[in-house]
Amino acid sequence: MISSTEKLDRISEEGIRRLVDAFYAKVRRDPELAPIFLRAIPGDWQPHLNKMYAFWSSVMLTTGRYKGNPVVKHLVIPGIRPHLFERWLALFNETCGELFDEGIGEEFRVKAARIAESLMLALFYRPDRPWPPEPTR
Amino acid sequence: MTFVVTDNCIKCKYMDCVEVCPVDCFYEGDNMLVIHPDECIDCGVCEPECPAEAIVPDTQPGLESWLKLNAEYASVWPNITVKREAPADAKQFDGVPDKLKQYFSVSPGRGD
Repeated sequence: MISSTEKLDRISEEGIRRLVDAFYAKVRRDPELAPIFLRAIPGDWQPHLNKMYAFWSSVMLTTGRYKGNPVVKHLVIPGIRPHLFERWLALFNETCGELFDEGIGEEFRVKAARIAESLMLALFYRPDRPWPPEPTR
Repeated sequence: MTFVVTDNCIKCKYMDCVEVCPVDCFYEGDNMLVIHPDECIDCGVCEPECPAEAIVPDTQPGLESWLKLNAEYASVWPNITVKREAPADAKQFDGVPDKLKQYFSVSPGRGD
């Protein structure tokens, strides 16, 4: 645990790396998310982590380091459900709070929530059903 | 939710947006770019990059016709991920009102 005096007050590649590492360590221990992620990434996690450093670098530092199609990637994940996005966001927000000061943490949280909403719409929105979807556990 | 390219992109087409977009969701017409609404993840990185301030979130009211235009042409124009030189007269057209009616071209651009 990082003490509040050491919380990061700016966004850097190093900060992003620490966030991604700490967040996915939690994901791999989480009873709801771990089965989905471990099935999608059965072997070495480093390539995925590298991709996530690049993704968040692109989103928060506009470096253009990540190039990919996350909608298509998520479409093929077996067992993916709307309530898992909430769990993902809860863990992500918690990790941001541990690493960054309030302002920077909020910048990450706002982006993550918008991206999650966008992926959920792409995956689960149907014109004939209510939005947001009912929790289906 | 998605971001939408609007009127002031026409004849300006600066293309700064395509470099920063993490998901390569820009498509190129002869004199305008559009965003593919099903590929955009709403990260917002492109919005402040546009020198013409032509990119806006679809949560803004009154964008229905632009949303439709973006979706329609994203499916027929080529993908663009690498920036090229903006048109020589881009600056002259920056801020000209109502360019859609006068200048919009349905022809595809070069793409990558």
